Order: sequence, then C-alpha cells, then structure tokens
Amino acid sequence: MAFQTRRKYCFFKENNITEIDYKDVKLLKRFINDNGKIMPRRVTGTSAKMHRKVVSAIKRARTIGLMPFIDNGSE
Amino acid sequence: MRYYEILYIVNPNFERKKIDDTMKEIDNRLTKTQSKIINHIVWGKKKLAYTMQGHKYGTYILVHYQGGNKDKLDEFDSWLKLSDLVIRHMIVRIEKEPDVLEKVDNESPIEEKEGLKSEKDKISKEKNDEETEGVE
Repeated sequence: MAFQTRRKYCFFKENNITEIDYKDVKLLKRFINDNGKIMPRRVTGTSAKMHRKVVSAIKRARTIGLMPFIDNGSE
Repeated sequence: MRYYEILYIVNPNFERKKIDDTMKEIDNRLTKTQSKIINHIVWGKKKLAYTMQGHKYGTYILVHYQGGNKDKLDEFDSWLKLSDLVIRHMIVRIEKEPDVLEKVDNESPIEEKEGLKSEKDKISKEKNDEETEGVE
C-alpha cells in the first residue's frame, strides 16, 4: 500500500482511565500543543465524553497556575 | 454530604513556621463553618505557569473537607480571596469521599500504561500480519 491511515484511538479508553484530576499535569500535557492551546478532538482522537472532562480539567489547571494560558516561550 | 477540595498558593519565601501559621489560620476559619477537615497537606514548591502578583514560584497546599454551613463557607471563600496570606485559591467540589493522604501524589503512572499500550499494539499488529498472510 502507498500509505497507511493512522489509527485513531481514545487514550483514556485504551488505558482504562475514567476520572481526570486537574492536578495531574503530566497527563493533561498530552492534550495541549506547544503554544498551550487545547488540541481538538479530531487530532487527539479522544472520545467526546472524555474530551469534555479533559477540557474542564485543563481550564482548572490554568486557573491555579499549573498550566499556561499561552506559552510563547518568552521566559 | 458534599466534599470539597481547596488548592491554594502561598508565598514561596514563607518559612516553615509561617506556612504552619497560615495553615492553622485556615483550619480555624474552616472549622468555624462547621466543616470537617479531612486532609490539609503541603504539596510543595512549584514553578508557576505564569507570574502571579510578581511571583514565579509558589508553595501549593491542598485541603479536603466536608461541607458545613453554606453561608459561612461563602464568607470563608471571600476571606480567602481578600487575604494577603494566599496568592490564589480554587475551591472545587469532588464527587467521592477523599482518602486520607500522607502526601499529594496525583501523577498517574503513564509510563507503565504506555508499556501496556505498546504491548497491545504489538499484539494487534501481529494479528493483522497473520490476517494479511492468510489473505495472501
């Protein structure tokens, strides 16, 4: 075959994670890009249910200073 | 009964004693709202993702409690906001009763899980290979 389509999968379903904690920055970092933006579901392949949880967790982490609102690498 | 979690940041230059005093003050104020404190522990000094009130670092402290009088808790919330002791705080409702913690350890062991995942991938790939061989 000339090219293979990349298989998309839900990271949480794959690892049997049902609850997301906003303090778990290491996990949440997978779902933001270099600028600190939340990546869309079509890129990450996360299920809709878990994506909503990821989004709210990232927003909480931003409020309390664990994650950046914008990360332009100026520091 | 509802359970809540507060994560607040204090000045990173506070000495141990000053941190203890701050925690005691918050303990006192919380018990006055008829809340039951489950955990009150220091998470540690961390680099902030952005500067807050001129600080680049902050000491994070975590509280778990069982909610008491709602009006008094609202007062407590606004006191935290106005207080000089705390740089920033966030109160979040949690669904389940929190466990009693010795220290904060919220990082999920992703490496292990990745190991599992790659194994799974290998298995599925092998299966695919077998299937394609069969077809050929």
